[in-house]
Amino acid sequence: MSLRVAIAEDSAILRDGLVQLLIDRGFEVTDAVADAQALRRSVERECPDVAVVDIRMPPSFTDEGLRMAIDLRRQFKGLAILMFSQYIETRYAEELLADDAAGIGYLLKDRVADVSQFVEALTRVASGGTALDPEVVTQLMGASRHRDSISMLTARERDVLSLMAEGRTNTAIADSLCVSEGAVEKHVTNIFSKFDLPVSQSDHRRVLAVLRYLDT
Amino acid sequence: MTGWPDSRSAGTYLCLMRESGRRIQSRRVEGTVVSSQVGAPGRPERMVITWGSEPNSRLEAFARMIIETPFTRRTWSELLFLLVGLPIAFLGIAFVGITMTAGVVLAITFIGFAIIALAVRGARGIGGMQRRMAGALLGDTIGEPEPFSPRPGYLGWLQSALRDRTGWKAMAYLVVKVPLAIVAFLTAVSLWWDAFACLTYPLWGSGGHRGVAPVWGAVQLLRPDYLSPDSGGGLVGFATVITGAVFFFAAPWPVRFFDFLDRLLMHALLAPDAMTVRVRTLEHARAQTVDASAATLRRIERDLHDGTQAQLVALAMRLGLAKEKLADPEHLDLDQVRDLVNHAHRGAKEAILELRDLARGIHPPALDVGLEGALATLAARSTIPAELAVHVDERPSPAIEAIAYFCVAELMANVAQHAYASRASISCAQQGRWLRLVVRDDGVGGAHAISTGSSSSGLSGLAERVQAVDGHLEVTSPPRGPTVVTVDLPLRA
Repeated sequence: MSLRVAIAEDSAILRDGLVQLLIDRGFEVTDAVADAQALRRSVERECPDVAVVDIRMPPSFTDEGLRMAIDLRRQFKGLAILMFSQYIETRYAEELLADDAAGIGYLLKDRVADVSQFVEALTRVASGGTALDPEVVTQLMGASRHRDSISMLTARERDVLSLMAEGRTNTAIADSLCVSEGAVEKHVTNIFSKFDLPVSQSDHRRVLAVLRYLDT
Repeated sequence: MTGWPDSRSAGTYLCLMRESGRRIQSRRVEGTVVSSQVGAPGRPERMVITWGSEPNSRLEAFARMIIETPFTRRTWSELLFLLVGLPIAFLGIAFVGITMTAGVVLAITFIGFAIIALAVRGARGIGGMQRRMAGALLGDTIGEPEPFSPRPGYLGWLQSALRDRTGWKAMAYLVVKVPLAIVAFLTAVSLWWDAFACLTYPLWGSGGHRGVAPVWGAVQLLRPDYLSPDSGGGLVGFATVITGAVFFFAAPWPVRFFDFLDRLLMHALLAPDAMTVRVRTLEHARAQTVDASAATLRRIERDLHDGTQAQLVALAMRLGLAKEKLADPEHLDLDQVRDLVNHAHRGAKEAILELRDLARGIHPPALDVGLEGALATLAARSTIPAELAVHVDERPSPAIEAIAYFCVAELMANVAQHAYASRASISCAQQGRWLRLVVRDDGVGGAHAISTGSSSSGLSGLAERVQAVDGHLEVTSPPRGPTVVTVDLPLRA
């Protein structure tokens, strides 16, 4: 059965493009709306698996998309959310990930240009995984107080850290870096020991662990 | 009577005043129609009738003014202001005299300066009271001087108070006010008392003493014969009452004169000085400029975010989709790919167009060549035929050129949208250190610089922008037009 997606995006050009792309890739688009209130009504009516939500929407053009997403998450436990924005604000990522990282995504709109990766991220989020924009990880690393431990990482470990924080599985990381899964596991263990963190088993737990660490 | 009356037709009319269809006032008006004008077609709300009854002669107008003045509210509040002025003057001079004397005597010790500082602060307070009273009774709003803002600490307060120009000026006012208040009070009281005494002459005393009205002041000085008790007869009473009437109608005028003198004094000593007013104007202009530029940046960001950025993301997405489809030759649907590329191509062209408009809105490239070229472009792009005349010898500074350009652009946009004009003209001429822009159209008129609706908010925005560089914007736009907007800008900002 195909995944059922709701879209909330105020730019008509982008909304139409997304609908076209998702249908092309075999998703079922339950609704494509232009503001947060319409999204709530749509979710209540259609119960989609995942909602792709623009952060900045009418009427105030600030963060109503994010507010609505957080609200909907509390109300509908199974609903996955992919936030979709032209800017990455670390504060938004923190709010979004405050409770849980399962079924949460936060991507730059640009990422849609790489269609397969975008679709992969959407699928991962819909099935309870995490998809964070590399930009989130970069920003967190830049602002982190743990510069010392970050600088202790090797270049390869840093690559692994970024991909891990984006929410990818070891298999995906191994594919992406063209190394064996065993090598990835070794890097992950190294990172956690350099950060002095207990190794988490599930992918989205370790995302949270890493992000919390970088953020403090 | 229905329809609109002709000019100069006299009669009684029932006047209904409506505002957006709602009746706000209705009353019977008697008089002569001075002029009546019906607004432009399609704008029935702009019907203007000027009412007025024309006095037969200047003499009649003068007589009416003299007769009406003692019965106006203004006359009595002016009298009240003058009467209250004396106790305030005494209070003020007593306060200043005592505190300053004490302060100067004790100035060898530290406490003396503190007392002088208190005197200055107190004078400021009494001055403020006087100013508010002038506002309430004379309707003369005198600008508030800068509020007293002492530096922190006891010594800071002392120093600030001693250096408070406003306070010292208020003290000078309190001193000068005393002789003025005394003369004014005596004059007013004697005039009004005489008017009252003479008018009520028949009621005073009885028998042999009848006729000795307690008159003093002006009447006492003039001492006309008919007022003396020796000149008997009924004529005496009559003449005295007439004298009273004369005083009654004359008395408001000296009072008004003395109040006028006091107002001059207040404007000189209790109002903020020219420099303070200037600083305030500049502060206001600066705040507006800062707000305006922040708003402009926000608008540009919004335009980029909603327009070009979204356009480019959609474009990249379609190209990405097409690229992936092309990478899979087995399931290749050429029509689908062609459609995607077509869409992307169209999107790219739209994005270019949007970017160009946006860039031009930020800084018109034509301005780099000079104002003349930029204005020529504007005139050429106008949908209404526009004549352009530019006489500028010296190039204004870039900021002024930009403001001038945006003024003309906005004004021409207004002409196109609201004026229903068939022709327009733009003139731009240097006059000494000033640049004068005049945009004229032959449209329906009725434009206002003070914003009342959405159509004119552009004009008030322009006025603010122009004021920010000490410029001036003036709109003359009678109903039925023509509209002439004159903008004066300094050559250098």
